[in-house]
Amino acid sequence: MIENARSLNIAASLILLIGMLYILGPLYLTLATATQSYEFLLRNGLAWYPGDQFLNNVARIFTETRIPIQMLNSLAVAFSLAIATCVLSFLSAYAIVYFRIRWAGIAFALILATIMLPVDIRVITTYQVASNVFSPVNALLDVTGLNGLIAEAFGAPVQLELSVLNTHFGLIAPLVAHGTGTFLFRQFFLTLPKDLFKAARMDGAGPVRFMFDILLPLSRTSFAALFVLTFLSGWTQYLWPLVASSTPDMQTALVGLARLLPDSDGEVPDFPMIMAGAVIVSLVPLLMIALLQRYLVQGLVLSEK
Amino acid sequence: MTSESTLFSNRWLPILLVAPFMLLIVLFFYVPIFQAFYWSFFLEQPFGGGSMFVGLDNFARVLSDREFWQAGWRTIIFMVTASSLAVLIPLILAVAADRKVRLSLPARNVLVWPKGVAGASIGVVFAFVFNPFVGILAPLNKAFPGIWAPGIDGTDAFITLIAAHVWGGIPFNFVILLAGLQSIPRTMHQAAAMDGAGPWRRIFDVQLPLIMPQLFLTLVLEFTESVTSAFALIDTITHGGPGGATTLLVYKIYKDGFSGYDLSGASTQTAILMIFVILLTAAQFVFLGRRINYER
Repeated sequence: MIENARSLNIAASLILLIGMLYILGPLYLTLATATQSYEFLLRNGLAWYPGDQFLNNVARIFTETRIPIQMLNSLAVAFSLAIATCVLSFLSAYAIVYFRIRWAGIAFALILATIMLPVDIRVITTYQVASNVFSPVNALLDVTGLNGLIAEAFGAPVQLELSVLNTHFGLIAPLVAHGTGTFLFRQFFLTLPKDLFKAARMDGAGPVRFMFDILLPLSRTSFAALFVLTFLSGWTQYLWPLVASSTPDMQTALVGLARLLPDSDGEVPDFPMIMAGAVIVSLVPLLMIALLQRYLVQGLVLSEK
Repeated sequence: MTSESTLFSNRWLPILLVAPFMLLIVLFFYVPIFQAFYWSFFLEQPFGGGSMFVGLDNFARVLSDREFWQAGWRTIIFMVTASSLAVLIPLILAVAADRKVRLSLPARNVLVWPKGVAGASIGVVFAFVFNPFVGILAPLNKAFPGIWAPGIDGTDAFITLIAAHVWGGIPFNFVILLAGLQSIPRTMHQAAAMDGAGPWRRIFDVQLPLIMPQLFLTLVLEFTESVTSAFALIDTITHGGPGGATTLLVYKIYKDGFSGYDLSGASTQTAILMIFVILLTAAQFVFLGRRINYER
C-alpha cells in the first residue's frame, strides 16, 4: 500500500461484502430450502434457516427421478469432451506451429472462427446434420452428378444414413468442434524458446519424439487448465444435450433437473426436492473448482490472450 | 532438411494431425452454417418431405413478421443491459479486490464459485428465489399485492433474467479483470502518487486505462455470450413468457424449429442472427479495438 487510503478501503470492503452476499445468498437459500419439507415451504415460504429433511429430499431425487443415471451421462459427456478437446487441440496446434506448411494460417483461421458462433446459435442445422452425419456426403454426390452415374450403373443412387442423435457420441462431437483449446496451445507453444526446438533437432529428435518427449511434458499445466475449463463447460451445456437426447436415460443431469420444474406457473413446485437436485447436480463442478481453482484461473487467464 | 531449420518439413504428418479435428469442425460447424444459409432460400418440409427454391421469400416472410422484430429488439435490450451490468459489476468488484483489504482473499475465492453452477441450475435457483409466492420478494407481495409478478409482468420477468445472467457472468469477468489489474506494475501507482494523484483518482487515471485490453475482451465475449447463454435461463425461468416478453431470438428459433417444425423460418432467423453476431464482433474490433493501446 502506498499510502493509507481509509475511505477507499472501507468502500472496497463494503463492495466486496455486497458482492459476496449476492453470490452466496442464492446458494445459501438453495441449501436451506433443500433441507426443508414441501409442507414447510407451503406454510412458511422461503426457508431462512436449515431444517432436517435434506437426506429425505436427496433420497427422493435418487428414487423418484432419473437424475442418478443422468449424472453418469453428464460425467461421460464432460469427461470425454475434456479429453477429446485436449488431445485434438494439442495435435492441431502442434501441426500449425511446428511444421512448415503453407496452409497453417488458413487452418488456424478456420479453427478460430468456431469461437464466434457457438452451438446454441446453429442448433437447428447442427441437429439436422447429427440426424444424418452422411448428409453432406449425399449432397456432395448429388451436386457433382456422381449419384446420377451410380444410379445408372447400379440401379439406385447412394443414400448413406447414420444418425448420431441420442448417442453419447452425438452429445459430445458438436461440442468438441470448438477452437479455444487450439488457440490456448498455440499461444503456449509460441512462448516457448526457439532454441528448445533447435536443440532437440540437433540431438536427432524427429517430430513424433519431439512431441512426446519435449512438448508434452512442458504442456502439463496447459492441459490441466484446458481440461478443467472444458470439463466444466461440458457439464454445464444445456441446449445441445436438450435437443440431441430424446430419451430420459440419455439426457444429462442438467436437462433432467430443468425438467423437474413444471411448465405452468400456477402451483408452487416441490422446491425442496428440486433444490436438493440442484445441489447434487452442482456438486461435481463445485468440487472441481474448489480443488483445482489454480488451474481454472490459469485457464481463464490463458484463454484470453 | 538441415538441422538449422526452425520447423519440421514433413508433408503428410501435419495433415494427419489436423485431420480429425478439422473433420469434426467441418461436419459440425461449417456444414450446419452452410445449411442454415442454404435452407434460408428454400421452403423445407419437415421430416424430409422435399424442398422448393423460393429465393428471398423466407427472408421477406421473417422480416415482415412482427414477432421476429420484437424478439430481435428484446435480444438487443437484453444484450446491452445484461452484458454491461455483467462487466460493470465484476469491474467494481475487481477494483475492490485488488486492494489489500481483509475481505479481498475470501472474495477472490467466493466470486469464482458461480462458474461451477450451470446456466440451467442458475435458472432453477433464480426461478425459486424470485418466485412470487414463496420467493425472496413474497413478503413484499403480501404487503403490496401484485407489485412483483414475473408470471404476469414482462418487466419483472426480464429483471429476473438479467439478475440471473449477471450472477453467472461474474466469475469469468472478475478473474480476467483482476488479472489485468494485478499485472499493473507497482511503480505506476507510485509514480502517480508522487504526482499527487490520490487513490480514488488513480482508479480512473491509472487502473482503468491500463486494463482497457481486458475490459474490451470481456465486453466482446459478454456480448456474444449474452445472445446465446440466455437460452438456458429463459427455458428454466420464464419459458419466454409472460406473453412473449422474454422471448429472445435464440429461444424463438428453438421454438420455431423444434416445436413449430418451421425449418425454413428457423434457418432464416439463424442466418440473420449469425450475420448479426459476426457484424457485431467485427464492429467492436473496428471501433473499440483500434483505440486500445496494448503497450504498457
